[in-house]
Amino acid sequence: MDFATRSQPRSLGSTISRLLHKDSSLGYILLSPGFIFLTVMMAYPFFYAVYLSFTDKQIGAPANFTGLLNYTKLLSTTLFSKTVLNSVIYTTFALILKFCGGLALGVMLNRQFIGQRVVRALLLLPWIMPTVFSTMIWSWIFHPTFSIINDILVTKTGLLSEPVPFLLDETWAMASLIFINVWRGVPFFGITFLAAIQSVSPEIIEASKIDGASPWGSFWRITFPMILPVVVIVMLISTIGTLGDFDLPFLLTRGGPNNATTLFALTAYTLSLQSGMIGLGAAVTMTMFPVLVVLVIVSLISVRRQQQQD
Amino acid sequence: MDSSRLLRKARKSLPFYLLLGAVMAVLLFPFYWGLVTSLKSDIDIYDFTGNFLIPKRPNLANYDTVFSTPRYFTWFWNTLYVSTVTTTISVAISVMAGFAIARLQFRGAALAGTLIFITYLAPKGFLFVPLAQILNNWGLLGGLPALMLTYPTNLIPFCAWLLSGYFANLPHEPEECAMVDGASRIGAIVRITLPMALPGIITAAIFSFTASWNELLYSIVFVSGEQNKMLTNGVIGAFVGGDWFSWGPLMAASTLSSLPIALLYLLFTDRFVSGITAGSTKG
Repeated sequence: MDFATRSQPRSLGSTISRLLHKDSSLGYILLSPGFIFLTVMMAYPFFYAVYLSFTDKQIGAPANFTGLLNYTKLLSTTLFSKTVLNSVIYTTFALILKFCGGLALGVMLNRQFIGQRVVRALLLLPWIMPTVFSTMIWSWIFHPTFSIINDILVTKTGLLSEPVPFLLDETWAMASLIFINVWRGVPFFGITFLAAIQSVSPEIIEASKIDGASPWGSFWRITFPMILPVVVIVMLISTIGTLGDFDLPFLLTRGGPNNATTLFALTAYTLSLQSGMIGLGAAVTMTMFPVLVVLVIVSLISVRRQQQQD
Repeated sequence: MDSSRLLRKARKSLPFYLLLGAVMAVLLFPFYWGLVTSLKSDIDIYDFTGNFLIPKRPNLANYDTVFSTPRYFTWFWNTLYVSTVTTTISVAISVMAGFAIARLQFRGAALAGTLIFITYLAPKGFLFVPLAQILNNWGLLGGLPALMLTYPTNLIPFCAWLLSGYFANLPHEPEECAMVDGASRIGAIVRITLPMALPGIITAAIFSFTASWNELLYSIVFVSGEQNKMLTNGVIGAFVGGDWFSWGPLMAASTLSSLPIALLYLLFTDRFVSGITAGSTKG
């Protein structure tokens, strides 16, 4: 068949089949739908956001160029400074706890035990199940007056004399938000770390044990350095996701009390879609950009390094 | 095995099982509590006396309320429809892109891989403001097509990245043999390589479907009108007000709306797990 088409090089059919055969042309053909889609739906919106952030665009009104006004306005509002501070606290604590919890979980599950398969399947449920609905359950668990946790701590066991103001107090609200993020993320970290731990060859660990290393020592000196690339990548990807989180603060606290739990995406949502200040909202999301660039570059370097190792 | 050794072994692993039990209890309690609350009547919901872990008068009244919410089935259908369409679009585009990046040699292949990775890292909260404006300019803001166009922006990068890792690990020989036997290049790819990549493709599809089902931000911002809502914003709109919640129906709706994902997970647990580990380590 190939022969037949080659004998008549002028026909359209043969040109197409040649284009679909060669690596170079086929590569561009297969890549073009994705490339066009992501250019129109991601690259264009990005530049459009940069443009909007330099204008006074409001819903239903034309945009006027206002230079850096939106950014200077943001720097002088407490809403924005709170957003930055909240994001730093939320991301830092959530990541540290997910790292520690995930590592502990990974190490813990790295052994034979009864019900292994069932446990691993159930373990992932917080991560798999729709965040929106699990967060609604959490807001019922953290209810101001009918919290089951408070009922257990105060009425049933008497461990506390006062109920915990989970979503009413600024600090507790942030702690609750972090807790739910960790609850949802720890299974993901645990399963990923477990897979990485299991890919370390048992001979190396055996050898170190024969050399007299304690399990603790051999974990930190041998296993951990070997899973470090995976740990770093998971942490970076999760940092970006946590920083850009919208669902959790929107559903649990609406950013309150007193803006103590609002994050970048929620602040941008409040300003642009609820107050109609599109330009200002776009500026809020753009302030994430420098941080994202740094995180993306570090991620790229670590992925490349890991690929070279393989 | 003699019983004293068995006993010693059991005693040694007891702390492990206790710890494991505690961890699992914390991770799974919310689902149980949501389910139990959904089965309680209005009065019993706020009554924690006695054995609160089991509903005193279990009944399905809350589920009745959910089913008689005029639009619940519309939202369910919208969610199913949008998730299926976006999954199909995203997986089709990602299979092509992932294959090209992993298996074809052409100028820019490595660059394309890097760009896909960068778009994969863009958080969802980053571009929704300009996307809303753009959809508005195109006259698409408000209806379901707005979601079908925007959901893939987060799905394609992930799926293409996952699949390129998958394609890279498949052998080249079967495809070459088929071509020697007279198959065209496309024929060889479709009939030989794609079936080999099926587990990866299923993983990508499951992840896309789950992510679309769970999506909240875009469905809040990009669609309007009760008839266009998804389950996520529909349920919240129906059972959560400014400062009131109808907890019973809300817990029932949450349980019901999570059910399809739970079922999918039950059927494809191994695909989920492999997707999670592949997504973070590439290949």
